[in-house]
Amino acid sequence: MTSYLLNILVFVCINGILAVTLNFILGYAGIFSLAHAAFFGIGAYVAANVGLHVGPSILLAMPAAMIVCALLSVLLALPALRVRGEYFVAASLGLQIIAVSVFAEWHSVTGGLGGLVGIPVPEIFGFRIAGAGPMAVLSLAMLALISGFLAVLTRSSFGRNLMAIRDSESASLAFGKRIAATKVLSVAISAGLAAIAGVLYAFYVRFVNTESFMLDTSILLMAMVIIGGTGSLWGPILGATLITLLPPVLSYVPYLPPQQVGSIQQIIYGMAMILLMVFQPSGLVALFKRKEKSQ
Amino acid sequence: MLILQLLLNGLQTGMLYALTAAGFSLIFGMTRIFHAAHGATFVIAAYAYWHITSLAGLPWWVAALGATMAAVIFGAGLYLTVYRRIQRSEASFFTVFIAAFGAVVVVQNVISMIYGRGFVSSSTPLSRAKELIPGLYVAPLIWVSVAVAAVFFGAMALLLKRTRLGVAMRALADNPELVRVYGLDPGRISLMVFVIGSILVVPAAIIQVIATGANPAVGHHIVMISLAASIVGGIGSLSGAAIAGILIGVAETLALLVVGSQWTEAVSFLILFVFIIVRPAGIFGRAHAH
Amino acid sequence: MDMTKLTFRISGLALALAGSIAGTAFAQDHSLGALYPMSGSNAEYGQIFSSGSELAVRHVNEDAMLPGGLTLQIEDSQALPAQGVTGMNKLVSVDQIPYVMTSFTGVSKAIAPIGAETGTVMINGGGVGPDLAELGPYFWNIIPLANDEMRALVPYVVNELGLQRAVLIYVDDPLGQSVLEVLEDLVPQNGGELVGEHSIPVTAQQFSGIAATVRTQRPDVIFIASYGAQQAALVKQLRDNGLDQQLASYTSFSTPTMQELPEAAGALFTQQYIDREKGDALTQRFFDDYIAEYDRDPSIYVVNYYNAVMLYANLAQYVDEQGQELTGENLLAARQAIGSFEFVGSTVTFNENGTVQAPIEIRRLTGNSGSEAVTIVE
Repeated sequence: MTSYLLNILVFVCINGILAVTLNFILGYAGIFSLAHAAFFGIGAYVAANVGLHVGPSILLAMPAAMIVCALLSVLLALPALRVRGEYFVAASLGLQIIAVSVFAEWHSVTGGLGGLVGIPVPEIFGFRIAGAGPMAVLSLAMLALISGFLAVLTRSSFGRNLMAIRDSESASLAFGKRIAATKVLSVAISAGLAAIAGVLYAFYVRFVNTESFMLDTSILLMAMVIIGGTGSLWGPILGATLITLLPPVLSYVPYLPPQQVGSIQQIIYGMAMILLMVFQPSGLVALFKRKEKSQ
Repeated sequence: MLILQLLLNGLQTGMLYALTAAGFSLIFGMTRIFHAAHGATFVIAAYAYWHITSLAGLPWWVAALGATMAAVIFGAGLYLTVYRRIQRSEASFFTVFIAAFGAVVVVQNVISMIYGRGFVSSSTPLSRAKELIPGLYVAPLIWVSVAVAAVFFGAMALLLKRTRLGVAMRALADNPELVRVYGLDPGRISLMVFVIGSILVVPAAIIQVIATGANPAVGHHIVMISLAASIVGGIGSLSGAAIAGILIGVAETLALLVVGSQWTEAVSFLILFVFIIVRPAGIFGRAHAH
Repeated sequence: MDMTKLTFRISGLALALAGSIAGTAFAQDHSLGALYPMSGSNAEYGQIFSSGSELAVRHVNEDAMLPGGLTLQIEDSQALPAQGVTGMNKLVSVDQIPYVMTSFTGVSKAIAPIGAETGTVMINGGGVGPDLAELGPYFWNIIPLANDEMRALVPYVVNELGLQRAVLIYVDDPLGQSVLEVLEDLVPQNGGELVGEHSIPVTAQQFSGIAATVRTQRPDVIFIASYGAQQAALVKQLRDNGLDQQLASYTSFSTPTMQELPEAAGALFTQQYIDREKGDALTQRFFDDYIAEYDRDPSIYVVNYYNAVMLYANLAQYVDEQGQELTGENLLAARQAIGSFEFVGSTVTFNENGTVQAPIEIRRLTGNSGSEAVTIVE
């Protein structure tokens, strides 16, 4: 039982890292990206290839994945950030779809639709990280590190620039802020850190294939951020926890006919999203803020 | 000859895309709501049509009417119960998107529970291709699609240019506040936009059931193509959506001459990507993308 | 940490604990697990697989084959690897299940390391990718893999039917690629020629362009390696676009959707041979009860997942008789000791690597909710 719960915890942390990094560009920079799953995937594939061809060292895989993702994200950001928010969404959608096609077709690197299997158990300084327990510790640590880093960043002058640009580009321009550079840098940071989630995923599941990095995942990540609440630090973590926990919790609901169980779970899932958006559109974290204020 | 054949096939596919994109573009352009559940409307219309013709055995026009009613009830209903509520509170652009996504998941699974997860289609002679000239196979359905699309687009153009409602809808797209100043209710106009947008989906859904076949998961793909075509054509421009839909359909099919079939989906989105970079306002869009 | 988040976490834990307590109360009972796609785009298969398994569980309990009764725990894999891993973890660590039925190549490959490490038997009755034979001693396949099926089909089609020009349309995933490799060898070996190969993305729905291209290649037979809703859409559009060549595929054409598709009439497909007239009570009862409940003939997938449960019942009985604990390791030893099993419609012998040797039957779809036998190849 503990190892089952730890297994869920690992996924909560991985999704948490993805949500927190997506929130960085969504909530703080106002950039709506549907391509986050693509960067998750790129990070995972880099880690898988490092693990399979070089060695099981996570300390090698992480920087490699971060650099590749950051560089590729700059390629997206440079042309696409010239256009307004809603159009960037569509550009990121295009990138996500194209990325999935590449994942599915570039057999030598990604194993195509069959994926890469047999990724070795990861090691840090020779210490094996085998199983849900140690991996949960590592993932929690990474989540904490990344959240902490982003928290510091958003309070810095860079973060303030970002929010100023989100609120009004023309005003920022008038103040001499370098808009394009700031936006591109924020996308690079977001993608580079999201790569870490990919590394953790690849070394935990030890099998990567296209199916985990498709548009549905991007949308789910966006749901985590919005349901939790954008522009705050705990919001995305709350959203990630909720959405990751919902399927396992639903699997314990009794008396469901076994053939319809999956569909019923999904229906509850979808209804939860609708209701949350209708009744708490600014995210769940706003609930707590209100409580604090009223106290 | 292969090129001509592929061109014609692409045209057929393009008609389907044009119709769904038109509905999406109309809604997004006029109400600024990212109606990601447009695909769900499509699935509902498709299954309603199939149910009435294949299960209940009634004639096709009864089924078409039934499908229209189902589509309108869903689209307008979603607007009234979900979107309008969200719009009243301080919501970001994507709050609506997530709610719509939730709606798609619910619809897909409810339909799965009722009709099973398999593939359904209506067999009619309309979809059988006949050899017109050696090497060129054309199904009667393509003429029907073109005719239907022309009728619908013509009706839409008339509506938008000549009727009061149409003018009000265009005003809504430009400036919702001004609409209120003139004593019109933006909420009611938006509702009409959703009704009309949902009706536009019905012929496409029927063509899908006849030519391609439907399954509960078909909505996803449709929404993505609709979004792509709407952007490429220019948000809010019906003719743009139509032309973009046809363009994407044709490009997707002609791409077979150049790349392997596994890349055809990527091709559509490459077009989208290129347009966004080079001309984000789309073919006929207003130039306020920067 | 916020109180509310903590409360949520604790209640989630409480729920999970309650579930496990309920589970341990029945620890004496026999329990097997299944990872089927019960939702999502491949949920049709989940429906089919579970109908077979559930019927078998019912029969096992009716016959009181196992003390305490047998229960089936299905986890929804959605045919996706990550969900499969979570489901597998739950079955293994929470429900302590030693025997899990799986489906779909992607899911199977993802759970294989978990089964190998924990000594849990995994048995596949649906996926046919050849790399499923190489996932270790705990991974068994009760369905012949694609290379075996094609080895029976190709000679028949090319030699006996004389259809020498072949085209393959395949989904670009391990299954499709393995069929391509097999055909690239077998078609020329039998005197035919593979004049065209077209790979389609898993999500593709429009095939008129491919139909047009195939037409220019003037094949005599079109091989199809796809599954789910896509294969039906593909067949319909090929026919609609004026291609009336012979179609041929593997077990996946046996689904109810394909059986009922008018455009699929006449298509040939392979599956392992099931002798309905085998004459034993097991086979008879299986067919009678299934048809009574579902009003249609059971497809080969139903048979496989029924047999998978029966296999467990046989092995568990043996392990119980030996006075041993019900672990994957002992189940594996039992399988190796017994070797050969009487299943619905056939006698199945396991090879050393956990695959089965079975005669392959070639059938033809009638386009009218059924199929008819054509020939059997050993």
